[in-house]
Amino acid sequence: MVVNSEPQVFLFLSKILGGKVIDSEGRPVGKILDLVARVAEPYPVVTYLLLKTGREKKQSLLAWQEVTETGERFVASRQTLEDYHEPVLQEGELLLKDAFLDKQIVDTNGAKVRRVNDLQFLKARNSLHVVHVDVGFRGLMRRVGLEKLMDVISRGFFDYVPPDQFIPWKFVQPLASPDLLRLNISQSRLAMLRPADLADIIEDLDIHRRTVIFKALDVETAAETLEETDPKVQVSLIEEMEVEKASDIIEEMSLSEAADLLGDLPKDKADDILMEMEKEIAEDVKELLSHPEEEAGGLMTTSFLSFTPSVTAGEALDVIRKEAEDMDFVYYLYVVDDRERLMGMMSLRELLVALPETPLSELMDTRVVSVSLDEHKDTIAEHFAKYGIMALPVVDRSNRMKGVIMFKNLLEIVAPELGK
Amino acid sequence: MAETISRRSFRTVLGAVLPVRYWKRSWKSLGLFFALIGPGIITSNVDNDAGGITTYSLAGAEFGLSLLWTLIPITLLLVIIQEMCARMGVVSGKGLSDLIRERFGAKVTFYLMMLLFLANLGNTLSEFAGVAASMEIFGVSKYFSVPLSALFVWWLVVKGSYKSVEKAFLVACLFYLSYIISGFIGQPDWGKVGAAVITPTFRMDPGFITMTVGIVGTTIAPWMQFYLQSSVVDKGLKAEDYKYTRLDVILGSFTVNIVAFFIIMLCAVTLYQNGIKIESARDAALALEPLAGKYCSLFFAFGLLNASLFAASILPLSTAYTICEAFGWESSIDRKFTEAPQFYGMYFLMIFLGAGIILLPDVPLISIMYYSQVINGVLLPFVLVFMLVLVNDRRIMGNYTNGKILNIISWLTVLILVFLSLAMVVTSFV
Repeated sequence: MVVNSEPQVFLFLSKILGGKVIDSEGRPVGKILDLVARVAEPYPVVTYLLLKTGREKKQSLLAWQEVTETGERFVASRQTLEDYHEPVLQEGELLLKDAFLDKQIVDTNGAKVRRVNDLQFLKARNSLHVVHVDVGFRGLMRRVGLEKLMDVISRGFFDYVPPDQFIPWKFVQPLASPDLLRLNISQSRLAMLRPADLADIIEDLDIHRRTVIFKALDVETAAETLEETDPKVQVSLIEEMEVEKASDIIEEMSLSEAADLLGDLPKDKADDILMEMEKEIAEDVKELLSHPEEEAGGLMTTSFLSFTPSVTAGEALDVIRKEAEDMDFVYYLYVVDDRERLMGMMSLRELLVALPETPLSELMDTRVVSVSLDEHKDTIAEHFAKYGIMALPVVDRSNRMKGVIMFKNLLEIVAPELGK
Repeated sequence: MAETISRRSFRTVLGAVLPVRYWKRSWKSLGLFFALIGPGIITSNVDNDAGGITTYSLAGAEFGLSLLWTLIPITLLLVIIQEMCARMGVVSGKGLSDLIRERFGAKVTFYLMMLLFLANLGNTLSEFAGVAASMEIFGVSKYFSVPLSALFVWWLVVKGSYKSVEKAFLVACLFYLSYIISGFIGQPDWGKVGAAVITPTFRMDPGFITMTVGIVGTTIAPWMQFYLQSSVVDKGLKAEDYKYTRLDVILGSFTVNIVAFFIIMLCAVTLYQNGIKIESARDAALALEPLAGKYCSLFFAFGLLNASLFAASILPLSTAYTICEAFGWESSIDRKFTEAPQFYGMYFLMIFLGAGIILLPDVPLISIMYYSQVINGVLLPFVLVFMLVLVNDRRIMGNYTNGKILNIISWLTVLILVFLSLAMVVTSFV
């Protein structure tokens, strides 16, 4: 077996750009303007150098294979220059400086939008791979040309050398090139992110890229992400979408979130979306919309479990098994009479340990805490704190059950700054 | 199967209920304009800061009504420049420093941001000096008023959210009315004032030219372009809403110059006519008392306080925001300190230095302000040229680039401004 003794050499894009390429006899060939790379796994490979040759604005491509790099000197072994024209790049190829340098990327590990200060290459067996994206202060200073000065100052005064801040390529999702973004998100690195993190990233992007990314999400992820997004951004995302897609996404959201979002949209758009939505969900949302956001009626969801007292524990479990998937809240069961008046409640745990043939009327707790439709959020918060419950039923004047307030929804109104 | 009450059946009866929240929204959309304005008006008004008010007072006191006409071309210049910024913000969805970084690279951006930081630090300093001066008219020592106002500025932004801060700023805009009130108390001869506005006069003496340049320079400052564009982006305005934004910008440019008009006019009909020489806005406020009455003087001083405090709240914020955006650091007042250390660090440094230096004994305040104006003058041409390159870049602006005529007008505008700011820089060294 041959031992590969070639040392691994790291290079920075900032050090390569502007470098002069000479031929084997030392005559100048051109100046490096950019690098062409083919996006490949695990690392993109540099295929060509984009050179400025001659005095005019002429640009040419030179294959990387024909260049030997020795300590910031680039020697072209053969001179087979190809003229460069704008659309000459092939599928999956991109210009590195153009696409990355000074642009934003998503660090999918840290779930943050970062700005690229430099790219780091690994040179192995004379091929050049992009391995790291530099987002640190050191990279910035290198670009400005003050890296050494910064080291002298920080070492002299603070006995500290600022470290590099690299993001490994496998955690980098490029944003600048529209082609890369239009990939199915499930194949891209954004699929690794949780919806809440995705929401943070979407908020950090400009309006165009927000929309591109959001449109590429599948309906379920889009709905989950939208629930975590700032209301102002929610509105702008939905306004950029076709009505059918928007209504599909909103149907997947929890009812109370959907109602809040539709209430924030311009009336015309909201009406169009409601028309397009499944009739039953649309009716529920309209009901929620008829209450002010800060009162019980606006906080509640109408998607909960309710049973008549004669239903047995076993029957109830069957129903739950079938319907739980579509419900916003399943951890409590509410028992109502034939006129929908609230009689009692029990938790899912109590249901699970009960004998299957016991009717709910024997299992339920009749000491239910409930609030009226127009109860203010502060009183609701007090109830939650006092009774240590996960959800609070909402009833109308004749004690008919109207909905359930989940703790999560209350938290968003009472402490909107948390988790944003 | 036992009867279970489906959640759906509850609702059918209620489908016809008129949704309350809808009704509220459509009421709101009546005032859509008011929902979308803000960035333009706030930016323009901050422009009438302590430095601006000083310049206008001096212009009126030294040259009477003869400089009033310059406000008309200045208004036009301001509209042209700000409109481009607002358009870039709406179309690209990105701030100006973001666009500059992506288009012109790290090195240029780095030095530009260094200059901007210095210029804005100087401006912040003069705002706190304005607070000190105006509070002294009310009999409050600067050792009390300056730390207190620094705390207020810090508290406003750190404890507030973007929305509440914007509201506070819009209220501050209203207080500029105090200059209009004091202008009327001054009882000018409106016929003469009107004539002065529409008759351009020009004198070839250096003092007159310097003052003209000063008025232009204080009205069109580099930081405003960054601030305006960022706040347009932050408000999430879209291309369809652009007509409102343009109106906002135009309205703002007019109000700023109306306020300037009243200050110059008031100082002209009182101080100039009585041959009183002043050196600062504080002198102007004090000198007004025997001439136009106590209330006129108090309104004038209150206006100065409001303007200084207002600008002192915005300048550090805008600087931190702009620089963080350029370097890709977390920047939002809706984030916590640990999430955005660079942002809060820079913000704190600006307030600390701005307020702290004022409190030092024997600060060469005049020369500090003077050099900050010079840095502003050096910076402005770069910012304007970058703006014009960016606004004509199809990759960024698509179909919203400048038209041919607008391009000619805007390049001319930029040339005039570049010439004026260079003139200011050169004269400062002569």
